Amino acid sequence: MRPDRRKFIRETICAALGGASVYSAFGGMKLLQAAARHDYGFTNYKALVCVFLYGGNDSFNTIVPISGAARTNYQLVRPNLALPTAGLHALNAPASGAGSPGDGSSYGLHASMPELAALFNANHAAIVANVGSLVRPTTKTEYQGGSAVLPPQLFSHSDQAAYWQSSPPSNAPVTGWGGRIADLVASANPPDIPILTSLGGQDAFVRGESVAGYVMNSYGPNVIDFPYELSGDDALRSAFDALHAQGQANALERTFGNAMRHSVATATLLQATLGAAGMPNFDGYFAGAGEIGEQLETVVKLIWAANNNVPGYSGLSRQVFFVTGGGYDTHSDQLATQGGLLVELSKALSGFHAALTSVSLADRATAFTASDFGRSLSNNEDGSDHGWASHQFVVGGAVAGKKFYGDNLAGTGSAQMPSLAPSDQNPNDGGYGQMIPTTSVEQYSATLAKWFELSDSDIDLILPNLGNFNTRYLGFV
Amino acid sequence: MTVSRNVRRLLCLAVMLVCAASGASALAQSHRPDAMLHDGFDGAAAGPANDADASRFLAQATFGPTDADIAHLRAVGYQAWLNEQFAAPQSLEMTYLDWVGDTLHEQVGHQNRREAWFLGALGGPDPANNALIHSDQLRQRIAFALSEILVVSDQNAQLAEFPTSIAYYYDILVANAFGNYRTLLEKVTLSPAMGTYLNMRGNQRADPSRNIHPDENYAREINQLFSVGLVMLKADGTPQLDGGGHPIPTYSQATISAFAHVFTGWNWYDCDDNGFDNFTDCGPDYTTGENWLHPMVPYDQPNQPNNGDPSYHDNGTGPNDLHSKQLLAYPGAQAGGVLADGGSAASDLQFALDNIYGHPNVGPFIAKQLIQRLVTSNPSPAYVKRVADVFNANRASPNQLRAVAQAILLDPEARYGQAYSDKYGKLREPLLALTHFWRAMDARHTCGRDFTQGGLQNHYANQPYRYAGYVTGWGTDDDQYGSGIAQAPMNAFSVFNFFKPSYLPPGEMTTNGLVGPEFQLQTESVIANTVNSVEGRAFYFDVAQVCDAGDDFGEVKVNHAKDLALAGSGNGGAADPADRLVDAYSKRFMSGQMSPFMRQTLLAYLNRIDSSWTEGVTDWRLWRIHTALYLVFNSPEYMVQK
Repeated sequence: MRPDRRKFIRETICAALGGASVYSAFGGMKLLQAAARHDYGFTNYKALVCVFLYGGNDSFNTIVPISGAARTNYQLVRPNLALPTAGLHALNAPASGAGSPGDGSSYGLHASMPELAALFNANHAAIVANVGSLVRPTTKTEYQGGSAVLPPQLFSHSDQAAYWQSSPPSNAPVTGWGGRIADLVASANPPDIPILTSLGGQDAFVRGESVAGYVMNSYGPNVIDFPYELSGDDALRSAFDALHAQGQANALERTFGNAMRHSVATATLLQATLGAAGMPNFDGYFAGAGEIGEQLETVVKLIWAANNNVPGYSGLSRQVFFVTGGGYDTHSDQLATQGGLLVELSKALSGFHAALTSVSLADRATAFTASDFGRSLSNNEDGSDHGWASHQFVVGGAVAGKKFYGDNLAGTGSAQMPSLAPSDQNPNDGGYGQMIPTTSVEQYSATLAKWFELSDSDIDLILPNLGNFNTRYLGFV
Repeated sequence: MTVSRNVRRLLCLAVMLVCAASGASALAQSHRPDAMLHDGFDGAAAGPANDADASRFLAQATFGPTDADIAHLRAVGYQAWLNEQFAAPQSLEMTYLDWVGDTLHEQVGHQNRREAWFLGALGGPDPANNALIHSDQLRQRIAFALSEILVVSDQNAQLAEFPTSIAYYYDILVANAFGNYRTLLEKVTLSPAMGTYLNMRGNQRADPSRNIHPDENYAREINQLFSVGLVMLKADGTPQLDGGGHPIPTYSQATISAFAHVFTGWNWYDCDDNGFDNFTDCGPDYTTGENWLHPMVPYDQPNQPNNGDPSYHDNGTGPNDLHSKQLLAYPGAQAGGVLADGGSAASDLQFALDNIYGHPNVGPFIAKQLIQRLVTSNPSPAYVKRVADVFNANRASPNQLRAVAQAILLDPEARYGQAYSDKYGKLREPLLALTHFWRAMDARHTCGRDFTQGGLQNHYANQPYRYAGYVTGWGTDDDQYGSGIAQAPMNAFSVFNFFKPSYLPPGEMTTNGLVGPEFQLQTESVIANTVNSVEGRAFYFDVAQVCDAGDDFGEVKVNHAKDLALAGSGNGGAADPADRLVDAYSKRFMSGQMSPFMRQTLLAYLNRIDSSWTEGVTDWRLWRIHTALYLVFNSPEYMVQK
């Protein structure tokens, strides 16, 4: 089966080069050429799982200072939102040096997140500090002086979500970096099994140049819901199938018939896979984990299936999943709203790890969070506004956990939790408490792509702005 | 005329007899429509010779044939029909939105703009004045095609805030659908929607002290997507090759940069009226949205009200300006494509647009894409050249695109090409399949109510021509419409539209170099949603249904029962076969091109249905109608318009 997809990609290139069609939104020609040239002969299975938190999670109230200067400033700048130290779950990262928050302060997770804090302290989760959309390293002076080259439409939900997923969107969020990774590794996988799958809707992350993401419901594939058959003998279905069976005279009709059959076959395969004999029951790991938990449970099932010779679902070496949750745009009533969301997020991420651990697959999958943007340090009456940089979690057996990671403007690749001082005294604050990222989405993505065992040159193709940063890989996985 | 028609009929009859005699059993299994050999004794413009030809023409020229339109076209002929369409009054979205806002006093939102789009696409009575009939189908179809070349989208965050920005833009396309492409290009360039979408609005001359460079976004896309494309084309749209067999680039990065410097100094028409005197702080009018409804204006003259600010236009005379900008260079280009220093923003823009429009690529580049949108994905180079020639012969005409539309539709390849190629046709776009279904099945808005939202009254009760049903489904989890079919008007992912004109579907089409742009939308998961969406329309959403009292907006519903007489005249079963229904649907939906195989497959199923099938319906024949629609609309033979 494998040569087929490589052949397809090569033919695509030949056709594109030979014909009039050299359109590309994104330098996609290079990407396709790389895919055809590079034969990734992976001997192992790995899955990347993006957990996207729509709305812009307030990470400054997710990872909270317990002591030190950060605590003092935190209480100063967030009079209405500051969480008390009692109830926070301490993060036992190194106090100084590599893996520390970098600012001498100590931090804990939100009171709603005991499971994730425990996972962190057990070395299976890490924090990437103050990461966000950047074209290149940007200082407060450059930003406020107007000389910085900036991502378009900072603080806009749709644009910044697109930036996080596309890196960069180039005003045309046609492909995401998840999709572009899938383009490159497609040849290492059977052609008929989705390797780029969204369980939380269509978005840029799951669009590649040649690989189109398969969009499923949180519990399984979108299936054709064939009409009720009054005759009870599936004759309508048989007629439907007959019309899509091979044999059309017209090339476009044949292609559409193939696509329809493939759609039905894919949905059928995934349904069968999720219900495969021997599929462990993972429900217990996701109790109270909400919609993200439901999606992650389905991902766990598919990862299990890919590693247990489930008929029709074997031979996979790389998969990319997209899981989403919403409601994080907490302009008001933040304490109650975010608290509820974080309960589910904590249970979902820790459940994901525990479920995979139970079947000895924890080191095969890395889950990471992303969000539109962080929120403003300054608060309004009972909420926060759109910000820029944020902190994110990475979870999995391959993660070098119990540490803070990131870059800083000096490009030394050390974590640096941003100052939480009031705006005019804060070198990280671009204004209004909107924190300037010190680590770029590209560095975050590149680290994950590196774990996926893509070559350095291919990673540069996927992330064209990566070269603007001194540190390519952050080392968290 | 009469004589030659008779000759053709005799010939057709002879061909059919030969086919029938030569292999009746093979014919029974054929997936190819019966040959209808009209090969142009009368010229392509004569006709239509039969209902199937009329239906086929209307599939290309309208938002879907109806029985009434087929009859009308047969009565008047192609040319008279085209002339009627050229003269038909324009349906403009702003007219509808003004009615919604000014007369109904509703908050105008994007759902209203989509209602306006459907009003134009579906045609029929105007909701504000039922005596006014919208019938400008060809104009609307061309405008829709143009909207997929000159793309703006409400997925852009700022445009999403101002529905009228896109309505005003769409009306430019509608108003100029039969006009001149140079004129259209200028109106598009200066529209605030495009200015916002591709960043020409507020674009300013270089200022190294503030690290400002002219934005290249519009400069790039107007060349790459709206006019000349990336590679030099022959007159027939195929690429010119250099000595090494490689395509020749149309322009370089330096060219794009030069255009970016030209497209500087433009902003909202009312920057000063808003109380701003600063070009860079000028913003949209959040109170009325009025400044979205006026072309952008230049801010580069000392006598303009922003006097005192620096000029924002690079005319080649400033210390950081680009001198003697080299735009597109091609034989015959004015001044070799070099823009002399010292112009104004307005005069420089004229030079740049003339420079682009004058390029020999524009004719074949635009001709091919319009053919793809209306007729076939892979037109022959000769067809492209014939249409491009018309484009070029009418370069100075205010009716240029009218001539182009006629050339596309009356070309022999448009009228007869399907008979000679098994690669002919195009996959129907989801939206066009939807409008086809609704038009052909007498869609009406039903249910809905007058309700208060945000302190404003909404009026959806007794409004058969406010097509709100699509709107309420879009963007929700409702698979029946919107998200189910993955396409909404002016909602493309990006400036690269819902699909690229060069998209190669996987499989044999890629192997054979056949593009299928619309296939790019039909991902495996979207196909499943689309089939489910067809089920909803085929089986449910009927005007006879009782309304849900809690349904604010109502739904678009069709009249399935109008086909009862076709579906059977006795008690069904094999003794009362469904031939007339299948043949009527072949004509209405498939231009009479249903293959013998498909016809046999449908009849084998439909003839099982008899008068004992009463569950869930008021008349057993509705089972035949529902299932026939379901099978037809999901079939490859329907989905490929050919």
